[in-house]
Amino acid sequence: IWTMAELLPPESRGCNLFFLYDGSKVKGEGDPTSKGICYFYPEETPIEKQELLCGQLAGVGRCISELSSSPVRLLTLRRHKFAIHMKEEFFWALGSSMETPTVSVCELLNKIINLFCFYNGSVRQSYQLHSQETLAARWSQYLSYLLAGPSELHHVFSSLTTIDSTNVDPLLLLKAALILQACQRCPLVLAGCILFRGRVVSTQMSPDVTMKIMAHESETFKAQSPTGPNPSSLFGDAVSSTSVFLTMFELHYLQSAPVDRESWYRKQNTFQLKDSSLHHSLSRTPSDTVSSESVPSDPPSSQKGTLSPRSSASDNSDFSRVPSQSATEPVCPAPNKDASLEAEDKVQQSSTDDTFHSSGGDRSDSEHNATSHLSGEDGGACCGTVFDSGDKEHCNEEPHNGKLEGSNTGGGGTYATPIDPDETPLVPMTLYLHRVKGLVLALLVEPHFLCDQAAMEEVYHSCLASLNGLEAHLRSISPGAPGTAGPYIFAHFDCAQSTLTTNLSGRPGGAPERPFVRAASLLHSHFCNTETLQEAIIRNATTAVYGVRSAAQETYFLQYGVTLRNSGIPNHQDSAFSLPSKARHRLLKHGVNLL
Amino acid sequence: MSNKTSLLKVILLGDGGVGKSSIMNRYVTNKFDAHLFHTIGVEFLNKDLEVDGHQVTLQIWDTAGQERFRSLRTPFYRGSDCCLLTFSVDDNQSFLNLGNWKKEFIYYADVKEPEKFPFVVLGNKLDVSERQVSAEEARQWCQENGDHPYYETSAKDATNVAVAFEEAVRRVLAMDERADHLIPTDTVKLHRKPRSATTCCS
Repeated sequence: IWTMAELLPPESRGCNLFFLYDGSKVKGEGDPTSKGICYFYPEETPIEKQELLCGQLAGVGRCISELSSSPVRLLTLRRHKFAIHMKEEFFWALGSSMETPTVSVCELLNKIINLFCFYNGSVRQSYQLHSQETLAARWSQYLSYLLAGPSELHHVFSSLTTIDSTNVDPLLLLKAALILQACQRCPLVLAGCILFRGRVVSTQMSPDVTMKIMAHESETFKAQSPTGPNPSSLFGDAVSSTSVFLTMFELHYLQSAPVDRESWYRKQNTFQLKDSSLHHSLSRTPSDTVSSESVPSDPPSSQKGTLSPRSSASDNSDFSRVPSQSATEPVCPAPNKDASLEAEDKVQQSSTDDTFHSSGGDRSDSEHNATSHLSGEDGGACCGTVFDSGDKEHCNEEPHNGKLEGSNTGGGGTYATPIDPDETPLVPMTLYLHRVKGLVLALLVEPHFLCDQAAMEEVYHSCLASLNGLEAHLRSISPGAPGTAGPYIFAHFDCAQSTLTTNLSGRPGGAPERPFVRAASLLHSHFCNTETLQEAIIRNATTAVYGVRSAAQETYFLQYGVTLRNSGIPNHQDSAFSLPSKARHRLLKHGVNLL
Repeated sequence: MSNKTSLLKVILLGDGGVGKSSIMNRYVTNKFDAHLFHTIGVEFLNKDLEVDGHQVTLQIWDTAGQERFRSLRTPFYRGSDCCLLTFSVDDNQSFLNLGNWKKEFIYYADVKEPEKFPFVVLGNKLDVSERQVSAEEARQWCQENGDHPYYETSAKDATNVAVAFEEAVRRVLAMDERADHLIPTDTVKLHRKPRSATTCCS
């Protein structure tokens, strides 16, 4: 019998193993374990090893969770640890060395699963719709995107890669923010972000959602990703779209007023921090809920189209209805409705639809058809015939919605009052991308935005000149002097925006930087696990790293060229004690205020 | 006459609020938005058109008029084929500043022969009833400062916008044709060079 340690790759640093195991495929005595392995990374791992690892880890996980009646989040061995996620019959594991902070591993596993659900919807239904090979390719894309990243520190903090704002005129950031705001004048646009060469310039969305959208722009993704129908040949190659799925939590965050957002997100974040085992963030996995109500009335084989709509059918139609209403109003209202409003909406439905559609005088015949085709239904989405050829998933949604509407009438209530993220379904949305060379405007829009030619033209033309200009500006900025090795290293993590500022060069394997990265990840771990911890110094014989955190930020600082006077007992002359004041002074010029 | 499509860069300069962005939007998308925000830095749109049998892609650069955006806009003056100096007929100061805009452009665009460079002057907001700058004043300025063509435009009701851009294109094409005439002499030089080179080597 092999021990677990022998099975694991010797490579020590970072995350090195990931699998998804479907226990429902391995029920009978004769069922081979391999039948349950949906995806295993590294893919070249011999199948016997895959089976052993999956079998043992899933077995241990299940055993412990049954004994303790609580889900397993982490399995720790002597030299390896595994972040675990279990939902229904699915079992995910992400393995890494002990050196990687537990919070980072657990967060990364969440991210992988969330990323999958963002682009594919529920895991269970994805495996009913697509072949294992297709989905394996996607897991692999998501993994390679998430495991890449510019530096190890970015992994430790799971931070977004942003443009180097020290190099960019702040007015250009304002310009980017204004472009996004201008797009929101169209009520079908929820929120957006602007990326330049794979880095965030400006975003209106939570770091989580922004990160997921950025995945779409990664190289591996571009090569293979299934893109939706080109919204319109009018705009040529510049514009593309793909369907995505938001959790109710994410949707609510996007729909809430910007002022509320910040506090909301903070709450969410501090909650995560308090919770050392990251229960909360793990529970946000969107797949969780969907499979729980996985459409028992619709056998997968009956109708291909009915599989694609996710379980939130009644909510879908609510959302689709919103824009047709707000189309009559100039400003985008928060489209939250509670159950009491719903009846009224339905009464107004047909008339608002009419005004909405007649407002665009130059509609094609097919769109008129779409309108009439829908008029008998409650769906409200106008995608009917327009995308019949390109996007079957979309079009066949309506009958499905209509069918479930009746049975789910109470659904409006849960929609209006969130939010146990674990219990909320996924909402289909569309990701609209407008590309100008290295610059990408990404907008989350209502799915039927693609059918509304007038709205699309409005959004496209209102931002085209500004995007052209912004691209020209950003392209002309010369990258700053790289890696000016100063007498100190720092890393500053903004928890609310999930951004990292550092003077680390980011070169792989920079020898003098290793101890700093290790110390920072260790301190980060401690900060996450110990809510009351605010300042700490971590040291060995030659180096000392100072860490300080508040609810909104974490900062790490190392000073070079100081001879450590350390006699082993507390000593007021100990140079480590001067680190906090040095950090305060040094970091001010980087815009980090520790006062 | 060539059938090749050439890319011409024209740049709109003038005080903040005179309507440069509106002129560009009116010309390219035929839309008018009374609530545009200040332009930050530069923006541009392309438009294909045909002038006197020439296929031209006009790249129209719109710039920020406010002084505080100066450092953002000036790097983009280079390479312009034509400059549209814009003022608002209901704002005398914007008219008085035309000279400064011209100077700024010549300096940052590094124009070799400023007296030959095609400028076109636009007096925008013709739709506004209370004028501060008369057409005579404007024409006189144009005459005295290099005989620039002058157009009174309204981005709001589309008056003269297309005409002005077409005139800009004509000026550029006229410049190019003059330059074309010079080419033969240049080619002669090129032919001569290798010859002199051979004599050198032999």
